[in-house]
Amino acid sequence: MKKRILTLLAAVCLLSAVLSGCGGGSQTGTTENTDQSTTSTPADGPEARAAAGELNVGIAQDLDSSLDPHKTVKAGTREVMFNVFEGLLKPDASGNLNPAVAESYTVSDDHLLYTFKLRPGVKFHNGQEVTPEDVIWSYQRCAEPDSADIIQVAAFAGVEMYAEGDDTVCFRLKEPNNEFTSYLTTAILPKDYTEQDTAPVGTGPFLFVSRTAQESVVLERFDDYWGEKPELTKVTYKIIENSDSILLSLQSGAVDVFAHLTTTQIAQLGDGFHVEEGTMNLVQALYLNNAEKPFDDVRVRQALCYAVDRQQILELAFDGYGTLLGSSMYPAFSKYFDDSLTNTYEYNPEKAKALLAEAGYPDGFEMTITVPSNYQPHMDTAQVIVEQLKAVGITATIQPVTWESWVQDTYSNRQFQSTVVGVDASNMTASAMLSRFVSTAGNNFINYSNDDYDALYAQAQACYDDGEQTDLYKELEKNLTDNAANVYIQDMADFVAVRDGLEGPDFYPIYVLDLSTFHYTK
Amino acid sequence: MRYTARKILTLLITMAVVSFLTFAAFDLISGDPAATLLGTQATPEKVAALREEMGLNRPLPVRYGEWLAGFFTGNLGTSFQYRQPVRELLAPKVMVTLCLSLVSFVLITAISLPLGLLSSNGKLEGLHTVLNQFCMAVPPFFTGILISWFFGIALRVFVPGDFPGLAENPGKSLVYLFFAAVSIAIPRVAMTVRMLRSTVISEMNKPYVRTAIARGNDRHQVLWGHVLKNSLVPTVTFLGQTMAEIVAGSIVVEQVFSIPGLGRMLVASISNQDYPVVEAIVVILAFWVVLSGTAADLVNRCIDPRMGGTAR
Repeated sequence: MKKRILTLLAAVCLLSAVLSGCGGGSQTGTTENTDQSTTSTPADGPEARAAAGELNVGIAQDLDSSLDPHKTVKAGTREVMFNVFEGLLKPDASGNLNPAVAESYTVSDDHLLYTFKLRPGVKFHNGQEVTPEDVIWSYQRCAEPDSADIIQVAAFAGVEMYAEGDDTVCFRLKEPNNEFTSYLTTAILPKDYTEQDTAPVGTGPFLFVSRTAQESVVLERFDDYWGEKPELTKVTYKIIENSDSILLSLQSGAVDVFAHLTTTQIAQLGDGFHVEEGTMNLVQALYLNNAEKPFDDVRVRQALCYAVDRQQILELAFDGYGTLLGSSMYPAFSKYFDDSLTNTYEYNPEKAKALLAEAGYPDGFEMTITVPSNYQPHMDTAQVIVEQLKAVGITATIQPVTWESWVQDTYSNRQFQSTVVGVDASNMTASAMLSRFVSTAGNNFINYSNDDYDALYAQAQACYDDGEQTDLYKELEKNLTDNAANVYIQDMADFVAVRDGLEGPDFYPIYVLDLSTFHYTK
Repeated sequence: MRYTARKILTLLITMAVVSFLTFAAFDLISGDPAATLLGTQATPEKVAALREEMGLNRPLPVRYGEWLAGFFTGNLGTSFQYRQPVRELLAPKVMVTLCLSLVSFVLITAISLPLGLLSSNGKLEGLHTVLNQFCMAVPPFFTGILISWFFGIALRVFVPGDFPGLAENPGKSLVYLFFAAVSIAIPRVAMTVRMLRSTVISEMNKPYVRTAIARGNDRHQVLWGHVLKNSLVPTVTFLGQTMAEIVAGSIVVEQVFSIPGLGRMLVASISNQDYPVVEAIVVILAFWVVLSGTAADLVNRCIDPRMGGTAR
C-alpha cells in the first residue's frame, strides 16, 4: 500500500514537471502565407499576430443560428458579418452611402425608376462573378420571403426588378420612396446558393472560414476583393461570456480588441491598451407600455419624465459618460437628430408630483420595471430610476428577466409595464427608428397610438424631397417627446479596448465593427 | 456476472428516466425555441410557421420516441442553434471536459490521500482545521480568477482565454487544464482530507488496532498494512461521488478559464432553448454520474471481496 501510494505521488509529480516543460510563456509564432487555406495554424501571441497581420477580437455572445444575412436577428451577428457581405451600396464611417457592387446609378425624374450599373469583375467568395440575376434573386428573396426566418425588407415589396443587358439592374417602384437607396445595402448573395446558413458567401473584403460553437468565428481576407484590400489577413473572433474572463483574456494577450466594455472593465485594463470611445448608436430609455394603466395618461408619462434625473443616471451608472437625448433618434445620426428636444423635460420632481396629482395619483402608485438581466448597464440604470421615483411617491420594482424571455414576453407579446432597454436601427434610415411608433406597426412594442403621428409618418414616407422629409421626421420626433411616449435617457458610450500598436476602429453610425479600419502601427 | 448485469440495468434505467424527464421539462418551462431563433423578428405567424418547420407541434411521446430511436442508432439529433449534428458538435467538448475532470480527479486523489493520512496522525492540528475550512469555503470561481491572474498574467505560465485545443497542442492544453483543475480540486481536496482523516481516526480507535500495537507491531506498519485498507472503502465511495461532482464544478470553472467544454455549452444551450443539445448533455452527465458510482463500487469489491454478497 505504502509503495503504491508513493509511486502514484511520484508519477504525478513527474507528469507535472514534464508537462510544464512542454508549455508556458510566449513562443515565436509561425508566420502565415496568405493564401485561402482554411487549415492554417494561428500565429501565437500578440507580436506574432501583428507580424502576420492577424487579429483576435473578443465578443461576448455567439452569433445567430444562421449566418445568412437575410436572416440576421442579433445585432452582434451583423457587427461581425458586416465584413463579409455587401449590397449595391455600402455605408462608410460618416454615414454616407457609397457604390459597392454597383458602380453608379441614376434615378428617373419621377423618382420611380432606379437604374444601377454593376461594377465589372466583382467576385463572390466562391469565385463566381456577380451578375444582375444574383442581385435580383437576393432582393426578391427579401421582398417576398418564402421561409419564416427570412426578414422581409418592406421597401422591396411590390418593386419590379429586372435586368437590362448583363450589367444593369433596374428597380421600378410603385410610389416614390426617398429612402429606397438605404435599403440597397442589403446583402447580395449568389443565386440559388443553399448553404448560406452554415457556409455564407458574399462579396465583402473578408470571407467566412469557419465557426466553432461557443468558441470562435474565423474570417480571412478575400484576395479577389474589388476594392481596397484590408491590411488584416485573418481575424479570429473569440467568444468570452464571463466579464472577468474578458479582462483576463485582454491582459494575457489572448485577445487584442474587445468592444462594448463597461467603465469598470476599462478602469481595470492596465497598461498596454488604449480605449477608443464611440457611441452605441441606440436610444436607451425607460420604455412605457402606453396601453397599460396608468401609462395611458400622457400626464403620468410626463410626470415620469420630470421625475427622472438623467444626468444623475449618467453619473451614477456610467461614470459620467453618455449623450443625453430627448426622442427616438440617436445623436450620431446627425442628419435627423434634433438636439432641441433633449432637455424638454428638465429634472423637476415638484412638477412631476403636480402632474401626478392632476392625473389622479396624488400619492403615487406602484409599477414594475422589466430589465434584461444580462445587460448590466440597463440593470444599473433601472436601480437609479427606482430611487429617483421614490421621491415622487412612485414605488417601482425591478423585474430581471433573461434576454430570451425579454424578447418573447416583453417585446413580442408586450406583457410589461415599463422596461429599460436600448433600441437601435438595423439600417441607416430615420424610418428604422421611427416606423415602430405608428399605431399599426408590428414592432410597436410600447403600444404608442397617436393619430397625428400616423398621419405625419404617412406624409413623410410619401415625400421625396429630402429637405421636406427631414423636417417631417423631426416633427415626428417632437411628437414623441411632447407626448412623452417614453422617458428618454441617452445614447450610451461605447468603449473599445484596443491593444497598443494597433490603430482603429473607425466608428460607424450603426452597430458594426469594420475590420478594414484596423492597422498595425510600428 | 449477475452483479455486472444489475449495474448495467441500473445505468440504462437511470439514463432513460433522466432523458424522459428532461424532455418533459422542456414542455413545462416557458420559452419557445422557434421564438428564440426569430428573436426581435418574431410575429405569431412566423413563430407558428417555424414551429411547424421544426416539428415542435407533435405530441411529446412522438418526439421522445423519435429521439430515443435516434439515440440507439447513435444519432443525437441536430442542434437548433448550430444546425450541426449534436454528436459532431459535442464530441470535442466531451473530450475537453473529460480531460479536465480526469486531471482534477488525479490531483484530488494525489493530494488528499497523503494529506489525509498525515493529518490523521494528529500533527498540524490547528493549522489543518483552519486551512481545511478555508479551502472548503472559497468558491472555485474566485480561486479560478486568482489562479488565472497569478499564473497566467503575472507568471505567464499559460495564456488565459487562449485554450490551445486538445487536437492542436495536447501538451499545452493539459497545462491549461491543470490550472483549471486546481480551482476545482481545492474545495474537494479539503472535503476528502477531512473525510479520510475522520475515517482513519475512527479505524485507529478500534480494538484490533490496540491489540496489534499492544502485541508489539510497529504503529506505522499497522497503519499502512491494516487501517488504511479498511479506511479505503468509504473513501473510494466518496471519491466516486467526487468524480461525479467534478463535472458540476467544471461548469463554473469552464466559464472563468474560457474552456470550450460541456459545461459552457450546457449553459448557453439552455439560454438558447437548444433542446437537442441540452438533452444530449444531460444524458451524458447522467451516464457519467452512474458510471462513477459503479466504478467506485467495483474498486471497492476488489479491495474488499466481502462486499457484493457472494463470498469469493
